[in-house]
Amino acid sequence: MSDILALVLNIALAIHIALIAVCVWRVWRGENVIDRLIGADLVGTLMLAVLVLIALIWLNAAYIDVALGLAALGFVGTIALAKYIADQQMF
Amino acid sequence: MHTFLEFIAILAVIIGTAFSVLGVLGFIRMPDVYTRLHATGKVSIFGVVLLLLATVALTPLEFGKGLVLIVLLVVGGPVTSHAIGSAAHRIGIPMKRAIRDDLAAIEQTPP
Repeated sequence: MSDILALVLNIALAIHIALIAVCVWRVWRGENVIDRLIGADLVGTLMLAVLVLIALIWLNAAYIDVALGLAALGFVGTIALAKYIADQQMF
Repeated sequence: MHTFLEFIAILAVIIGTAFSVLGVLGFIRMPDVYTRLHATGKVSIFGVVLLLLATVALTPLEFGKGLVLIVLLVVGGPVTSHAIGSAAHRIGIPMKRAIRDDLAAIEQTPP
């Protein structure tokens, strides 16, 4: 793997981790409950990107499986939370 | 052949990271909840999917995992945005600078 690619991947990883930090700060300061839900969903998505980048950097495809699991669980979790917020009860 | 795939991967990673940065910037700067939803939807679709294109380009032999994740994200992303948007509208979060609000007419009685 050429060094340019490794450099680009590491910079992208650093940027994504900084974005996650920004999102966590925004969820902490969130104005209303929906902001926090969007922020949590965004942290899940950015974590997905970090996992894919780690899979690329360490050339280990197992992290793509972790990203798959995170995508599925994050999706279900966000839908359940949105429904709970909308209807004030789960079922 | 080897460097051409890497060139695609480098391009995909750069553009994907750019979309992620723009999405998070939109999430912070946008005035109200609904425009924020619009911004965050981009991160999951363009950001991660382009990164996965890089993985597909870099590992041409076993590209199945990347495609499965791409399909899951492209299907799941809009569904979550829609769920959050309807939840926000149902609990009555106001829209800033809204010109028209079609859903309000239909949804007179909150549950």
